[in-house]
Amino acid sequence: MKEYIPKIREIARKLLEEEKVDAVLGFRKGTIPMMNEPFMARSASDVDLLYWDSNCGINLANYLHKRKEKIAVVAKGCDTRNIVNHIVENQVKRDQLYIIGIPCRGMIDRRQILAMFEGREIEEVDEDAENVIIKGDGLSETIPRVEVLQENCSICIHHNPVIYDEMVDEPVEEPDHVDRYDDIKAIEEMDPEERYQYFRDIFSPCIRCYACRNSCPLCYCPTCFVDESRPQWVGKSIDITDVMTFHFLRAFHCAGRCTDCGSCERACPVGIPMRLLTKKLEKDIRELYGYEAGMSLDERPPLDTYRPDDPEFFIK
Amino acid sequence: MSEVIIPKDELASFVGRLLESYEVFAPVARGGMYLFERISAADEADLSYKNTRLSPKGAFLPQSERMFEFTVAPGKEESGILKEAPKEFRERVLLGLRPCDAQAFKLVDVNFITKEYTDPWWARRREKAILVGLGCNEPRSTCFCTSTGGGPFSEKGLDVLLYDLGESFLARAVTEKGEQIVSFCSGKAPGESLKSKARELEAAARAKIRKSLPVDKLKEKDLLELFNGKFWEKIEFACINCGTCTFVCPTCWCFDIQDEVYKNDGDRLRNWDSCMFPIFTLHGSGHNPRAQKVQRVRQRFMHKLKYYVDKYGNGVACVGCGRCVVSCPVNIDIRRVMEVMTAEVCEREE
Amino acid sequence: MKDWEPKIVAFLCNWCSYGAADLAGVSRFQYPPYIRVIRIPCTGRLNPKFVLAAFRHGADGVWISGCHPGDCHYLEGNYYARRRFALLKSLLEYMGIEPERIHFSWVSSAEAGKFVEVVSEVTETVKKVGPLKYFMKKRPEVE
Ligand code: SF4
Ligand code: SF4
Ligand code: SF4
Ligand code: SF4
Ligand code: SF4
Ligand code: FES
Repeated sequence: MKEYIPKIREIARKLLEEEKVDAVLGFRKGTIPMMNEPFMARSASDVDLLYWDSNCGINLANYLHKRKEKIAVVAKGCDTRNIVNHIVENQVKRDQLYIIGIPCRGMIDRRQILAMFEGREIEEVDEDAENVIIKGDGLSETIPRVEVLQENCSICIHHNPVIYDEMVDEPVEEPDHVDRYDDIKAIEEMDPEERYQYFRDIFSPCIRCYACRNSCPLCYCPTCFVDESRPQWVGKSIDITDVMTFHFLRAFHCAGRCTDCGSCERACPVGIPMRLLTKKLEKDIRELYGYEAGMSLDERPPLDTYRPDDPEFFIK
Repeated sequence: MSEVIIPKDELASFVGRLLESYEVFAPVARGGMYLFERISAADEADLSYKNTRLSPKGAFLPQSERMFEFTVAPGKEESGILKEAPKEFRERVLLGLRPCDAQAFKLVDVNFITKEYTDPWWARRREKAILVGLGCNEPRSTCFCTSTGGGPFSEKGLDVLLYDLGESFLARAVTEKGEQIVSFCSGKAPGESLKSKARELEAAARAKIRKSLPVDKLKEKDLLELFNGKFWEKIEFACINCGTCTFVCPTCWCFDIQDEVYKNDGDRLRNWDSCMFPIFTLHGSGHNPRAQKVQRVRQRFMHKLKYYVDKYGNGVACVGCGRCVVSCPVNIDIRRVMEVMTAEVCEREE
Repeated sequence: MKDWEPKIVAFLCNWCSYGAADLAGVSRFQYPPYIRVIRIPCTGRLNPKFVLAAFRHGADGVWISGCHPGDCHYLEGNYYARRRFALLKSLLEYMGIEPERIHFSWVSSAEAGKFVEVVSEVTETVKKVGPLKYFMKKRPEVE
C-alpha cells in the first residue's frame, strides 16, 4: 500500500497550505520493522514524514475524540467506521473532519511474522501488491500477503471507507463469501465447562497493562470501570477471576460499537486474542438486531435504541 | 575463577541436578514468545531463545504478591492484626538470563535496599538467588546495552556467565556463589581453542550492536531545561498510556498496594503499577498532579534518563534491553527520545 | 453437598416485581427462601457490572425481574434493558456460566402468583446445576 504515500502527502500538503485544516493525522515510518507511529502533521514541513504501508493497524479514530481543531485524518475502512461511531456518540463533529480514505488491503500480522521467525533477527520488512518480503541476517523470504494478514483483516468485509471526503485511490473489491464467525461457532459448540477452561487458558497470560483498552477508539470513559474504587468492581491483581471479569466488561462496553479493527489485539504485548469476545457480541447483534457497527451516521447504536418487538425468548 | 564446559546434551541433566537443590527460573517457550518462569522439569528451560517478552524481574518482584494477611472475625485472637503472609524463600537459580537483565537487578537494588529501608521480599529473594547469565551471541537489532554500561557478555550482577559455543556451553564462575553452581557441572575445563572461541564470540557480538547512544550527555543537561522542553508534546502524541513499556521493563519497580477482603478475611497485595496510568498519581482529594498524558510520558523518560542519573550517580535506569521498543504498540522508541533529550539545543516552551 | 443451599441474587424493579414480592408476602404465599432481593429503580438501571459482582461474591444464580414491556414506569427502560440482557446472558454463557444460573422475567406488582412461580422455577434450576464454579472471587493464587 506504499503507493498511496505520494497521494496522501499531496492531499495533506494542499489542505495545510490552504489552511483548510489545522493538522493531518496519519502515520510516520517506525523505527523498527512492521511498526509505524501515529503522527500529527501540523505544517507543510511535516508532510513528507507522512507514511503508509500495511503496518498501520493502530486505529487512528482513537486520537480524535474531544479534539477541538479541524483535522484531516488518513483512514482505512475500519477507521472510518470508528469515526462514524465517534460522530454518532458526539465525540467529534463531522464538519471538523476531512477524511482521507484509504482503500485498504489489510494489515500485516506482526506477531505472526515475529513468531514465524523467532530466533532470527528481522531487519527489514518490505511489501508489494502481492507479497511481504522479510529480510534480515542471512534471511530473505517472500510470503504471499494473504497468508500473513491480521486475522481480522483476513475476514474483513469493509475494506473501503464508509465515509470520506477524498479517496487516495479507486476502491478495492470487497469479498463476498466470508464466514466471519468460524471460530465463534466452534466455541459455542463447547459445553460450559470447556468454554470456561478455554477462556481461562486464553486470558491467563494477561498482564493487565490495558493496551487493549487504551488502543481502542471506543474506550474514552473519563474513569474506566477498572479504575473505579467505590465500589471496586474488579480486583487489580493477576488473579484469573479479576482478569476474566475485566475482559468480560471491556468487551461488553464495546457491544454494538466494535468494528473489529483489531487494534486491541495488535497492541497486546502478550498476544491475547480478545477479539473472540467482541466478535461474539458482534455476531449476536447481527443475528438479533440486524445491525453492523459504524456503517451509518443516521442509525443509533443497537444498545441505545430498541424495537417493541425485540426478541425476548429468554425472558419468563 | 573456574571455567567448565557443559556439552549441550548434558544440559538437561545439569538442570535436573539444579532442580533437586534449588528453585529454578528459566526462559520458557510460550506460544510464539518466551517468558522467564519458574520451571518444574529440566526440559522446560529453552536456552535457544533471543530474549523474553517480559523481563525476569517477576522472579524477585512478582506482578502480584501477597504481603500480609488479616482477619476481622470476631472472637479470634489474631483478629485485627496484620500478619506477614507466610512464605518460603528457597534458594533460587535464574538460569540463562541476559546480562542486561542482571545489570537491571543491581539498578533496582538501590530502590529496594537503602540505608533507611529494606524491602524484605525483594531483599530475601535477592539474597537467595544465584544468577546464571547467558551471553548474547546475536544481540537483537533493538539492543543497546553497550550504551548503558553493559554489553552482550557483561558480567555485571551475574554469578555465572555462560557462553554458547554451539556444541557446548562454557560456564565461567564470576562470584563465590557462582563457583557453587559450576561445581554442579561434571564437565572438564575448557581448552585454549574453546576459550579463544568464546573471546571471538564476545567481540563479534559487541560489533553487532551498531547503535551508540549519547547516554553520557544526559548528566550534563540542565534538569529544568529538559523538564520544560517543548519536544515532549511531539514525543507524547502517539502514546496511548497503556503501561506496556513499564510492565515489560526490567528496571521499572513501581507497585500499588491493595487490600482484598473475602467475608471476614483479607489479604494485602501488591501489584505492579505504572506511572503511565492516570490513577497512579491520583490523590484521595481528587487532585491529580500528573493529570495530563504529556506529564506522564515525560515522567517515565525523565525518571529513567535524568532523575535516576542525578540521584544515584550510577548511570541511567535503563539497561538497553530494547523490550519497550519492541512492545510499545505505537512505536515510542526510547532511543529516539534519548537523542531528542540530548540534542544540542532543546526546543523550549515560550 | 447435602446441606448446600443456593444463594440467588434477585434484582427486582421497584415498580413491579418488588411490589409483587410484597403482595406475595401479605397474601401469605409460600416460596423457597433462597433469594436475596436487591431493589432497583428500573431494569434500565441494571448494569452488567452488578451481575458480575453478584457472581464475584458467590451468588449461585442471578434473577432480574421488571415491568412488562409497555408498562415501564419510565416508559422505555425495560426496552433498552431487554437488549442488554440478551447480550449479557449470551456472553456470560459463552464464557462458561451455565445457562441455569441467569434468569429474567417480567412480573407486574399484581402478579404475586407469577412471582411465586418464577422464584420456584429459578430456585429449582439453580439447585440442579449446583454451587457456582467460576467467576467468584477467591483468595488469589499469587506468590
Ligand atoms: S479490518 Fe479491514 S479496513 Fe481495517 S485494517 Fe483490516 S482490512 Fe483494513
Ligand atoms: S474492541 Fe478492538 S477490534 Fe473492537 S473497535 Fe476496539 S480496538 Fe477495534
Ligand atoms: S493488552 Fe493484552 S496483556 Fe494488556 S491488558 Fe489487554 S489483554 Fe491483557
Ligand atoms: S508502551 Fe508506548 S503507548 Fe504504551 S504507555 Fe508506553 S510509550 Fe505509551
Ligand atoms: S527502558 Fe526499555 S530498553 Fe531500557 S531497560 Fe526498560 S524496557 Fe529495556
Ligand atoms: S420501571 Fe420497572 S422496568 Fe422500568
